[in-house]
Amino acid sequence: MSASLQQIRHAAWQAFEAAGLPTTRDEDWKYTDLSRMQALLGDQWWQLPAADAAVDAASFAIPGLDAYRLLFVNGHFDAAASNLPAAIRVTSLATLIQDEPAKAMELIANQPDALLNSSIVAANSALATDGACICVPENTKLDKPLYILYVNSGGTTHLRTGIDIGKQASVEVIEHFAGSDVSTGVTTAVTAIRLRDGAHIEHSRLQMEAAKQCHLGRVEVNQQRDSSYTLHATELGGIISRADVVSRLQEPGASCNLNGLFVATNRQHMDHHTRIDHNAPHCISRENYRAVLDGRSHGVFNGKIVVAKGAVKTDSAQQNANLLLSPHAEIDTKPELEIYNDDVKCAHGVTVGQLDKNQLFYLKSRGLSGDEAKQMLTFAFADEILARMGNQSVRRFVEKEAFAKLPNITDLEEMLG
Amino acid sequence: MSEVKQERKPEEFAGREYQAGFITDIESDTLPPGLNEDVVRHISAKKNEPEWLLNWRLEAFRHWQTMTEPHWPNVSYTPTDYQSISYYSAPKSQADGPKSLDEVDPKLLETYAKLGIPLREQEFLAGVAVDAVFDSVSVATTFKGKLKDVGVIFCPISEAVRDYPELVQQYLGTVVPTGDNFFAALNSAVFTDGSFVFIPKGVRCPMELSTYFRINALNTGQFERTLIIAEEGSYVSYLEGCTAPQRDENQLHAAVVELVALDDAQIKYSTVQNWYPGDEDGLGGIYNFVTKRADCRGARSKVSWTQVETGSAITWKYPSCVLRGDDSVGEFYSVALTKMHQQADTGTKMIHIGKNTRSTIVSKGIAAGFGNQSYRGLVKIGKSAEGARNYTQCDSLLIGDKCGAHTFPYVEVKNPTATMEHEATTSKIGEEQLFYCKSRGISEEDAVNMIVNGFCKDVFNELPMEFAVEANRLMEVSLEGAVG
Repeated sequence: MSASLQQIRHAAWQAFEAAGLPTTRDEDWKYTDLSRMQALLGDQWWQLPAADAAVDAASFAIPGLDAYRLLFVNGHFDAAASNLPAAIRVTSLATLIQDEPAKAMELIANQPDALLNSSIVAANSALATDGACICVPENTKLDKPLYILYVNSGGTTHLRTGIDIGKQASVEVIEHFAGSDVSTGVTTAVTAIRLRDGAHIEHSRLQMEAAKQCHLGRVEVNQQRDSSYTLHATELGGIISRADVVSRLQEPGASCNLNGLFVATNRQHMDHHTRIDHNAPHCISRENYRAVLDGRSHGVFNGKIVVAKGAVKTDSAQQNANLLLSPHAEIDTKPELEIYNDDVKCAHGVTVGQLDKNQLFYLKSRGLSGDEAKQMLTFAFADEILARMGNQSVRRFVEKEAFAKLPNITDLEEMLG
Repeated sequence: MSEVKQERKPEEFAGREYQAGFITDIESDTLPPGLNEDVVRHISAKKNEPEWLLNWRLEAFRHWQTMTEPHWPNVSYTPTDYQSISYYSAPKSQADGPKSLDEVDPKLLETYAKLGIPLREQEFLAGVAVDAVFDSVSVATTFKGKLKDVGVIFCPISEAVRDYPELVQQYLGTVVPTGDNFFAALNSAVFTDGSFVFIPKGVRCPMELSTYFRINALNTGQFERTLIIAEEGSYVSYLEGCTAPQRDENQLHAAVVELVALDDAQIKYSTVQNWYPGDEDGLGGIYNFVTKRADCRGARSKVSWTQVETGSAITWKYPSCVLRGDDSVGEFYSVALTKMHQQADTGTKMIHIGKNTRSTIVSKGIAAGFGNQSYRGLVKIGKSAEGARNYTQCDSLLIGDKCGAHTFPYVEVKNPTATMEHEATTSKIGEEQLFYCKSRGISEEDAVNMIVNGFCKDVFNELPMEFAVEANRLMEVSLEGAVG
């Protein structure tokens, strides 16, 4: 490890120690109480060991997905079980730190200030053991998606992924977090993505941690001219999870498209914070997030769009819809606009509600049972987000996993037809 | 629009000179600047207040001393030195106790005349009872007799403390507790006067009640306290309007307004706020940090806030409704205009507690020049609020590329039977709309006025007649020079 990387890590650790975990007095963490996580896991949450039990990683993989695969087990790259593309450079972070520390630095710390601004990211910067490092050269289009599967058997893992996409290059990346239910811990996962001129990425992020795992994730995207970023974020697992997505549209013509779905049941707590910075003229952003909340679950959505002074002709739309299925579920949502410019078109909307009685009645009048009608409407509500996925294998997989969580959804196969 | 933008000159955003900028020269009985327990005792003694109120004030003051000034809103300003404010100032002629308008200091009457709202004219023509607050002590109350016939009490709160102590004691501070927030605590400790309204059971108040606030003597912070109680089945419409003389030093205005609506009662509270906004460099101007809250205690009660905010250097307030009673209704209609260096962080809170409670929020923000404004609102639907319903719409209109418009809506829902919708848009004046008007021979300035008035119409429609006219005129005056 080079001295400078060590220094960064050291500084990050000090920043984390100084700041500690955010509390609900921080505006950004108003609705997510990490003291609950600390109560569950103890003060040493950041270094819990994984269970000894062997993990059958293959059992977690998305069936029928034709992709290059990177497998990480308990925070370490498993080269034997991985299948890397020849056309582009894909390595694990641990290898890169050994071989090319300068390059590792660039991939990880390309936004050092931003990466230190949250104490969780600071902890991740200090402690990240491994992750994927992906460099897509100019004018390259990868023939198959890159499937990154992170499996843990509990315990705390710190993952750091860096993706650098060259000019006019294009790639699909699927990040999938899964785990077995043997012990508890935290996954912190930071993904930094850089899109150069005209680059494109389709990024699926599937958070399907084991039931008792906590997940603290962050995606940082920096976009150059005419690049486009599409995110499909799905949150299904974990007991307490938080995902921050920050996209910076730095040069004209960049566009970003964020889609998110979270399905929470029992006592799950899911928090999604997004921020889109329109820093340049003629950028477009679209955001669509939906939540289905059942049991005693608690959902949080915070979508912030900031349009800077010079960012004329900004076109931005944000939509957040929430479906409450249980009298004990709670949603706290806050769509924010901060606009310092008059030549913009910005809109946002939020809805919270339950299934429409008239729609239920209509379906029942067509001979469906009450449960079936509910299933169908819930499915339709959530699938509006999943239908945006380009990759059908991923979509089918997420649909199944999502609806398996909800009660009374029995005839899913039939419904998916 | 690009052509329009070139024509626009930032200097022009200053709009016209503040028309109500003049200082009336009346001897004031003013306390030296500073704040301590003695000042609180002094104010209380000056007002001949009973023991319980003094204790209440002192409790608030002690609590205030433990609090720190909040800084979370999206505004920036030089902090206020609370020891440099004089907390009491009463016009000298108060001692004589004017019994009718004829006895009122002619200079006061002149002041009102300059504002274009002479009391007598209103008395005769508009049929509106005016409880005018000149600085801190109410000097003239009209139509008292007529209101008394139906049992309505409309008087300065200091008078109410004397004449109806049990009513005041029962309700004061029950909606906004003394320790609610920094400014409410300060207000509770040092409030000098304000209005008190009591509408008895089943009475529909025969006229619109109106208070015109004036801030006059230099360096006097204004701490108004308003308390409105509407008993079962009653109705009242209350109007509040403000202007202030021009000066350089910032003035703090930290009022508290409490509304209580019992079963089936309705309160309509309208505000037109046009305090001195500071000069074109952002110097001076009023800090308007106000706590306004309504408690819909009774079933089927309804409170409606309507505000037109064009003045003040900084406006920071959230007229709120606590919808406690089943089937109660809260409404909030707001137009906020920030130009020059004005800042506003305003919105509302709708706290749904009762069953089938409904709330509507319509907020229209217009930012021009270097103005910055934020809508910040909370819609909270509690576990018990079965069938609650909320509709929120907040639109912002931006004029010029140096202003800002922001939206921070908080939505907290704990009941699945609740339905809530929130919509917000931000845009500039449509080029097509402008072009259409211009092609019909309407000047650009008139066209902008028309479009802005159309943009605000949903809110202006909620204002009582007299105010609607005034509001339209205010918008036109305020936007003068903002375009082309």
